[in-house]
Amino acid sequence: MNIFISGGCKNGKSFHAQKLAKTMATEKGVPLYYLATMIPADDEDQARIRRHLSEREGWGFDTIEQGCNILNCLPVSPLSDDSQGPTAPKPLTLSGAPIDSNGVFLLDSVTALLSNEMFLPDGTVDLEAGKRLAGELATFAQRTGNTIFVSDYIYSDPRSFDDQDDYTEVYRRSLALLDRTLAQICGQVIEVTFGMKYLYK
Amino acid sequence: MILVFGGAYQGKLEYALATFHKTQEDVFYCADESTIEIGFNWQKPIIYGLENWVKRCLEEGAEPWELLAEYRNLLADKIFICCDVSQGVVPMEPEVRAYREMMGRTLIYLAKEAQQVHRVFCGLGQRLK
Repeated sequence: MNIFISGGCKNGKSFHAQKLAKTMATEKGVPLYYLATMIPADDEDQARIRRHLSEREGWGFDTIEQGCNILNCLPVSPLSDDSQGPTAPKPLTLSGAPIDSNGVFLLDSVTALLSNEMFLPDGTVDLEAGKRLAGELATFAQRTGNTIFVSDYIYSDPRSFDDQDDYTEVYRRSLALLDRTLAQICGQVIEVTFGMKYLYK
Repeated sequence: MILVFGGAYQGKLEYALATFHKTQEDVFYCADESTIEIGFNWQKPIIYGLENWVKRCLEEGAEPWELLAEYRNLLADKIFICCDVSQGVVPMEPEVRAYREMMGRTLIYLAKEAQQVHRVFCGLGQRLK
């Protein structure tokens, strides 16, 4: 089952998501994958990644680094292989194992993924990234069937950012589109508040 | 009275229309430039974008919850849809801080008066009262 988890910053979303993912993979006897979405920009990011890696140690996650083009980490279906002729290189995890789309995927976070897709390395901004990513994530959920999506609830600020800069409000609106899309298609939707869980469905 | 609140872009209106079997025809939208008078405009069953009305009250020096209390009988059957702006960073600007606090007082009043209170999260609702 696909699961969507959101809530405020540092409320325990990732920890809960890891527990759910681990349980799901153990019950089904399938591989457990962590989709690392952060593209490190500086030392602070590197330190955060090291902390996350050590926090996940011993959980049995195999890491997939996929900061953008999320569908690229899934093996192409046999059908499209035939039509493409020479087969594309098979996507691998950090440990070097081929990726099985029947595994359990923990995507943490939707927020980082959108930021990578929207704010490009060359400094340009893709204003349509939200719409495109909504489609990609829906396809990802459909093709894997066992993905846990983690997002961030950033919608209760007292002002619109329209007058502050050009992009913060577009980003918030785009993330909300992803959240609503995923909340609609996922079998379970959970809000985590300081470690407490509320099940919307 | 029914209160539906939630953060920005959460699908509050869509949720209210579906839950209470209403259409766009039933909606009065509090636009930025509306007057703060509770009168003719407020005859529709759904009052949407209440945060804009609160902002107008702030500009006019009126206290929104007192106005709502004054027209209590007229508003007894309304469905109010309002943005929740209570969980962000404390704003730098004094007027935004005043707005945020005014919004808090307004929602406390409405939540107390309402028979039903719903919170919308990513398009899905949670009934709090």
